[in-house]
Amino acid sequence: MRNLNSKIKKMKYIFNPRTVAIIGATEREKSVGLGIVNNLLAGKEQRKIFFVNPFKEEILGIKTYPKITMIKERVDLVIIAIPASGVLEVVHECIYKKVGGIIIITGNFGEAGEQGKTIEKQIKDALKNTDIPLIGPNCLGVINANNNLSASFAPIMPKKGDIAFLSQSGAMVDALLDRCAEENFGFSKIVSYGNELDMEIDELLEYLKTDKETKIIATYFEAIKDGPGFIESAKKISKYKPIIAIKAGKGDAGQKAALTHTGALSSDYEIYKAVFKQTGIIQVDSLDELMDTIKALSFQPRCKNGIGIITNGGGLGVLAADFCEEFKIELPQLSEKTLRQLNQEDALKGCYSKRNPLDLLGDALAERYEAGLESVLSQPDIKGVLVMQGMQIMTEPMENAKIILRISRHFPNKPIVCCFAGGRLVSGAVNYLEKNKIPNYSDPKRAVKALSNLINLGK
Amino acid sequence: MEILNFEETKNLLLKYKIPFCKTEIFNSKAKASEFAKKIGFPVVIKVHAPNIFHKSEVGGVKVGIKNLEEFYVAWDEMKKRTRLEKIEGILVQETVFGSELTIGMKRDSQFGPVLMFGLGGIFIEVLKDVAFRVAPFDKKQALEMILEIKGHKLLQGYRGREIVNLNKLAEIIVNLSKLSMAEKKIMSIDLNPVMANKKSILVADFRLIV
Repeated sequence: MRNLNSKIKKMKYIFNPRTVAIIGATEREKSVGLGIVNNLLAGKEQRKIFFVNPFKEEILGIKTYPKITMIKERVDLVIIAIPASGVLEVVHECIYKKVGGIIIITGNFGEAGEQGKTIEKQIKDALKNTDIPLIGPNCLGVINANNNLSASFAPIMPKKGDIAFLSQSGAMVDALLDRCAEENFGFSKIVSYGNELDMEIDELLEYLKTDKETKIIATYFEAIKDGPGFIESAKKISKYKPIIAIKAGKGDAGQKAALTHTGALSSDYEIYKAVFKQTGIIQVDSLDELMDTIKALSFQPRCKNGIGIITNGGGLGVLAADFCEEFKIELPQLSEKTLRQLNQEDALKGCYSKRNPLDLLGDALAERYEAGLESVLSQPDIKGVLVMQGMQIMTEPMENAKIILRISRHFPNKPIVCCFAGGRLVSGAVNYLEKNKIPNYSDPKRAVKALSNLINLGK
Repeated sequence: MEILNFEETKNLLLKYKIPFCKTEIFNSKAKASEFAKKIGFPVVIKVHAPNIFHKSEVGGVKVGIKNLEEFYVAWDEMKKRTRLEKIEGILVQETVFGSELTIGMKRDSQFGPVLMFGLGGIFIEVLKDVAFRVAPFDKKQALEMILEIKGHKLLQGYRGREIVNLNKLAEIIVNLSKLSMAEKKIMSIDLNPVMANKKSILVADFRLIV
């Protein structure tokens, strides 16, 4: 086995290449090759780009090289997007050329059958005595938003940010990037890792552990290649950076014939659930929940259990409290000190519920939110707050948003999540909140779920 | 796949400190009845065979044997019912009372040994109220696992039920995780039921599959 540390060190050639070559560059409309060419050209100010194509002298007016070995300069990153049958040969050329790292976009390998598996094995053998890291095959590619690198055929470049996304599926990357295009959070590094012939998810996690640009790691996978290796890495890394996972495949085919109760009950899905619990991974079920969770984690700190709810509508508060129970969020009672503090507030005039959820009543103006929020956040066993707002005719959403932001700065370790329920009437305030990194969810259930994923039960 | 023989099963349970109720295996009725007298009635008898996975389906379990007379009858009947099976012998066990629990292990091709914990009977069969952990894990994880099942309050004295020593239970689960890590030929395990009461937690039925 090759040295993991040295391989991880070489990942810099994949994420931060100074020179990139694409083998299979083409100008054929609607092709993968052209998609990658265009994505690479978008970063041509940051790095030098070489096109390799033995059949064309020029692509988009740029000179091509018939072979990677004909390029005189050092090549940090090679992207291979030619039919599977030709890949082994160019991998050999890449090794001869001593390139920094390789991404194989091409499909039709192990996922397609025995013939593909054989070529995969030959590629792996060829790379065995090198320390060239390989991503893929059968993948969308790699993106580093912070240096404008899209070594992929993804349709857009995401906003810069602190979220890394590792995905077994390329389509999930496309879907997530497009959906997040208008959001106020962004991405650091994105890897569609495909068949994991060389770099497996646990090694990518190891790389991201020390990546300064990454604060949160989101993942999508159907299966893990190296179970114990994954558990070991995930356990270690989730202590530093939250890891979120969507695991596809809940089927339990093959369990029926089990000889023991344990065998019959332990479906693949149950085992993964146990793995997530043991490793501190946050499990989500849908793309919506993934987005809600990465937004909360990107914007706000994590906290221990114990949440205060502040609302101007009893219904919203009760609904949220129900979900808190479902998601095992504790709602501490308001302490005598907090109640005393609330009583002294002129703004409240004694008009409020004396418990958690704190109901400021329907006609609450911004000053009531201010008094309520400050008192609740001051209570030591309340570790984070959900601020809810229904729109009455006198409600002041923008004023409320400003107050929330101002008070949040006095409690930097206590996350605030908002549920300004509504649409058109609150959109301005919601924009203001989210531009300032206070997450808002229009639906109480989504708000509470996001909050539950902020709570770090392990610590 | 077959069920591990009694001798090796017993040695593994002893080695990894997984307590089980007084049990011995016999082929001689006279010796078996001596043992029954020694451990005291009522006793249980069960067939033990490499290929009988569901003992009760072949009439291979008889509980509540109250005296020597009943013992002889039960022994003869069981011998007759299982005469066509290749059996290792008949187990004679003391009767223990308490809450029924289940602890099990499956060796997963991806993650290795996965342990399961649940209550017994309908709680596991109908309600599927169970928790899983991938081995190896520590006592803290085992306690979490116990408290994760919906029925955990039934182990803590709910409505006059016996209080189970959760600390001891967690230790047994951890010991089974150790066994599973070290004894690689064991493919799966069902300890079902495990009888838990105020004083003890004892495995009453075991099936180690190799």
